[in-house]
Amino acid sequence: MNILPLLIYIAAGIAYAVHFSKRDPKVGRAATTLLLAGALAHTFVIGMQTMEVWNAPFAGAARAVSTFVWLLALSYLYTELTSDERAMGVFILPVLVVLQAVPALAAPATSGPDPLLDSPWFWVHMLSLLFAYASFALAGVLGLTYVLQFKEIKKKNLGFFYTRLPSLQVLDTMNSRAVAVGWAFLSLGVIVGVIWATQAQAALPTDPRAQAFSIQDPKILVTIVTWVVYSFAVVARQVMGWSGRRAAWLSALGFAIVLLSFLPINYFVTTSHSFN
Amino acid sequence: MHLFLLGVSHRTAPLALRERLDFSSRDVGAAVEALSARATTSETVVLSTCNRSEIYVVSDQLARAREELIGFFADYHQVPAAQFVPHLFAREDAQAAHHLFRVAAGLDSLVVGEPQVLGQVKEAFSVAADRRCSGPTLNRLFTSSFAVGKRVRTETGLGEGAVSVSFAAVQLARKIFGKLDGRRVLVIGAGEMGQLTARHLRTNGVGDIVVTGRTFARAEEVAATIGGTAVPWSERNTALGRADIVVTATGSPTPLITRDDVAAAMGRQRREPLFMIDIAVPRDVEAGAGDIEQVFLYNVDDLQVIVHENMSRRSSEVQRAEDIVAEEVGRFMAWSRSRATVSTVVALRRRFDAIRRSELQRLDFKLTGLNPTERARVEEVTRLIVEKLLIEPTEQLKALPDEETQVAYTDAVRRLFALRDDREAEAENGRHETESREPGSSDTSSS
Repeated sequence: MNILPLLIYIAAGIAYAVHFSKRDPKVGRAATTLLLAGALAHTFVIGMQTMEVWNAPFAGAARAVSTFVWLLALSYLYTELTSDERAMGVFILPVLVVLQAVPALAAPATSGPDPLLDSPWFWVHMLSLLFAYASFALAGVLGLTYVLQFKEIKKKNLGFFYTRLPSLQVLDTMNSRAVAVGWAFLSLGVIVGVIWATQAQAALPTDPRAQAFSIQDPKILVTIVTWVVYSFAVVARQVMGWSGRRAAWLSALGFAIVLLSFLPINYFVTTSHSFN
Repeated sequence: MHLFLLGVSHRTAPLALRERLDFSSRDVGAAVEALSARATTSETVVLSTCNRSEIYVVSDQLARAREELIGFFADYHQVPAAQFVPHLFAREDAQAAHHLFRVAAGLDSLVVGEPQVLGQVKEAFSVAADRRCSGPTLNRLFTSSFAVGKRVRTETGLGEGAVSVSFAAVQLARKIFGKLDGRRVLVIGAGEMGQLTARHLRTNGVGDIVVTGRTFARAEEVAATIGGTAVPWSERNTALGRADIVVTATGSPTPLITRDDVAAAMGRQRREPLFMIDIAVPRDVEAGAGDIEQVFLYNVDDLQVIVHENMSRRSSEVQRAEDIVAEEVGRFMAWSRSRATVSTVVALRRRFDAIRRSELQRLDFKLTGLNPTERARVEEVTRLIVEKLLIEPTEQLKALPDEETQVAYTDAVRRLFALRDDREAEAENGRHETESREPGSSDTSSS
């Protein structure tokens, strides 16, 4: 079922690319409409799957990725509609398409109710982390575009990006907001995760996954690293005046770690966070 | 009915002559009214800017319209015709539409792609429309030209990129800072170009402008003309630390601002970038200052390169703009042609209806036995038959692809059905149009 939103995202991605190079406002509006349609279809798919399996829509790596893509699509749409800047779509959509390919091509989840996941803490934990990651994805893209344009202006080679992207100041401000929002939700997600793990360890002494909740688990370790990186980004901006290019690089680095935690580690390494 | 344009522009006439034929310095509305009152033409719009004086009219006798317009130019401006006639250019129908659309798109401007001309075209039309001097054809023509201007601006890069050094600097500043509201500007030196740049920055909303220079009195003078405050030369580094945008334009033979000065200004917790525009030759800012993180240093050559690039980018967009113009001219002419066949269509309908009525009348005595409902039914059926018979020929006539075929077909129809001559039908057509709305003429004629 995840294939339908994927196809619409691909179409929207093409429209955003055409809009970016040709700068035709009609194509731009079409791109936004397609993305809206994709997000709607995605909402429907996630809703259906939740009803079908009757647990949270993010148990299992593939479904977590799907929910992440959905949140990122919504966050980006919100940013686009509030800032009236469509240029970032061409960078966001590839992220959506590549990640959405994971659940679209994965075998459908067959798991029934899982006692470990049967907790409101789990919902809060997952939703805040996925939303934090979506914010970081936005921040990463904003950082990337900042660096691209910064380079053009600094090198006095005003070309492709210069004519298409919003001003450095706007990119920097949006980046700082995305990082701040993401950091807040990341912190919330981690705290709730710790509480939930402590409760689960007490309630389910025989579940091997619950017992694996420790700092040595790669998934948990990478999340801590992510938190440290973004905490530094927030503090550095406030205290050391790290804005502009440094902040941009930091948010790109942070998002690379998020992706690492999300795909390879979820699929191959972690023991504690394996819910398939 | 033909569209006719006569006028002078910067391509055909020298400035001295354009000045003498200019309408815009006086009351354009009065000129439009004066012309409509004396000429036989049916619609009038006068487009007058510093680069052109053009009169658009609708007329069915082009030679006469031309004479009338020349006479009007001569009388209104008190210039002997012999002086300006060699500089006039005239366009008809598609050519006239093509010219106006190119003007509205900025393709005919001195600086290609400049946006002001579209506003001037709109103004020229509204002056004429307010005085009811325009009509269906020019309404359609001018509203189409606004659409052309808008399409060219949004769909091509024709108007993009500054084409002067000071505007290029302002555009860069906007690309770095976004809105310039509240940004602080430091102007060093009294150079012309520096002052011009500062003034452009001011109109783009920057906050305070601080001026400094080695001669305080001169700095005060500059500050007074561009609306800033002067500070003594000794405080230049403090001012540098506070500024977001620095414009230097001194006559100093050696750099006045060293890399260290800039590094000190950027030091300690400065979060915002610094944009330095060095317009002086020789340069005022040490080139090394541009290597500092968050410092963007542009000298006059860098800006000149941008200007040249913008100019060549604009010229590479010309073809796309011309394509849009050609497309819209095609659309306008199709509309215009469909209007021209209307008179024939109307005449044809009248003819058919006349036959229907006369036949009904002739057979009236045979219908006496029918009750009113049945009579109405007969009336209705005959009317429907006529309507049905006419639908296809009407559509076909309106959809004819070019003028030649159109003339041939309308001529054939007129002969086959012995329709009355053009002028008569044309007059009826005017009346007819107000009652029946044919597709394609959905213009806002009388608004």
